[in-house]
Amino acid sequence: MTNLVTARGVSKQFGRVRAVDDISFDIGKGRIMGLIGPNGAGKTTLLKALLGLTDYDGELSVLGLDPFKQRKELMRNICFIADVAVLPRWITVSQLLDFVESVHPNFSRDKAETLLKKTKVDKRRNSRIRELSKGMVTQLHLSIIAAIDAKLLVLDEPTLGLDIIFRKEFYANLLSDYFDEERTILVTTHQVEEIENILTDIMFINEGRIILNSTMDSLADSYVELMTSGERAEKARKMGPIAEREIFGKSVMLFERPDRDRLGDLGELHTPSVADLFVAKIKGAAA
Amino acid sequence: MIANQIALIRRELWEHRSIFVTPIAIGLILSLGVLVTEGMLAAHTAEVNIGIAAASNVGDESHRSTIINGLLFAPSVIIFIGMSILVVFYSLDSLYAERKDKSILFWRSLPVTDAETVISKALTGAFVIPLVSFAAIVATQLISMILTSIWIMIEGGNAIHLIWAPASLASLWAATLAGMLSMSLWLAPFLGWFLFVSAFAKRMPLLLAALPIIMLPMLENWIFGSRVFFDAIFLRTVEPILEAKEAAAATFELSENLHISSFISDPWQAINLGSFFAKPDLWAGLIVSAVFITAAVYVRRYRDES
Repeated sequence: MTNLVTARGVSKQFGRVRAVDDISFDIGKGRIMGLIGPNGAGKTTLLKALLGLTDYDGELSVLGLDPFKQRKELMRNICFIADVAVLPRWITVSQLLDFVESVHPNFSRDKAETLLKKTKVDKRRNSRIRELSKGMVTQLHLSIIAAIDAKLLVLDEPTLGLDIIFRKEFYANLLSDYFDEERTILVTTHQVEEIENILTDIMFINEGRIILNSTMDSLADSYVELMTSGERAEKARKMGPIAEREIFGKSVMLFERPDRDRLGDLGELHTPSVADLFVAKIKGAAA
Repeated sequence: MIANQIALIRRELWEHRSIFVTPIAIGLILSLGVLVTEGMLAAHTAEVNIGIAAASNVGDESHRSTIINGLLFAPSVIIFIGMSILVVFYSLDSLYAERKDKSILFWRSLPVTDAETVISKALTGAFVIPLVSFAAIVATQLISMILTSIWIMIEGGNAIHLIWAPASLASLWAATLAGMLSMSLWLAPFLGWFLFVSAFAKRMPLLLAALPIIMLPMLENWIFGSRVFFDAIFLRTVEPILEAKEAAAATFELSENLHISSFISDPWQAINLGSFFAKPDLWAGLIVSAVFITAAVYVRRYRDES
């Protein structure tokens, strides 16, 4: 497996605050990595470093390039959608397509046109961005991105502010129009439950540090949720759960590297949801 | 590189429609002025007829040439003033608006360097806007001449003899274009400063750009009693105006002494580009401009907006 992204000891400091603190990880080709963290965890700063939008300390290689020094070369093979990278409000749909076509060597106008035909934006070619709804702007942005033959797609809260129908459609289109084995996606979002079934890898980040980095497959092996009550709960508690919460009078405990045989005797076992695991990990890190 | 510049400059023209709207609006108002004036004069047919008859008979070709060129030169001065104000607002907005509307990260997500982007904005301010304004000047002059020709013909005069033959259009246009482009180079340090402030300012770029231009010469004079900044800033802007005033004075004195108004009788002959490019002040200004533009590139590249 070739690594598209290699980070070794990457840090970024703002004044006395370490937004990104000595982070190391790899992302392999063809993976869909979810980067999850609370607000201010350093996600956006890390993404900006990956995209060459900010300088940093440590070693970072993206597609074999130094992102900050070789940003132009990098941008030929990387695309990103960020909630902060909004499309300019004054430009018309056709002007935007013309511009991207003229500056981006890997952009296929035909593919963009085909994708746009499936959306409501198709009939609005001469409208300015400011005249389109937020959902339409996102459809347009995704159509442009999907028409760029890029090796890595970075999505930073791409569906923020969209309603549930557009969000579902966005990820469905992302998989059908964009993703194949040749491409890699790095995505951050608050709505973990909407993307956990498309991820192949997951990384939790808190206060600038990685607190979990795992494939989704091994996540199911490494963590288990036990639902139990009464005396059996007491016994389970002694086995050192990393988190515990109450649902309908029952205790739900989360175990890391569990002894499944012993726990199985104490109650029902489930694979924890990413959201629950995330909350447990963040609280664990704070304690 | 060149393909990207063309795409980027076209982008500037899409975004800033005032680049076209301003000179065209001024040109239309001026053309309308010509039309109204001639319409009002038409009410005094008798006097006008005598005037046209007199103009047709009195004076030789060079007299008429001087008068016609002088009249044609007037709209270009007005459009140039409008254009200068336009360039100030354009350059202050060019790197500020993309941060204010948060589209900067979208632009930076494309394979275009920060230097290419800033250079496209500098080229637009220094050359593209003047070229568009020049086109508007030419159009305004032609419209005025056509309107006047129609009026002269209605009044029974010979328009070709009276205005088209004496007008030195090629010479006038060459001189106007050369003058506008050399003014862009001459004033380039201001353009560079405005672009830098536009990239740098968190808010109120106009105020931030204007304050040092006004305050630095005053403070320098007050504290040190010297006037380096005064000379650098004010002479650069005032000198061309003084020169223009001399040219204008020459035009208005033409009844007394036609020969001194050489600029107006053959504008292109009067332009001395060699001596302009030999001025050390020009090159010093271009270096200052390059420093500010480089600084604007660095601010756009290194500043983290989050």
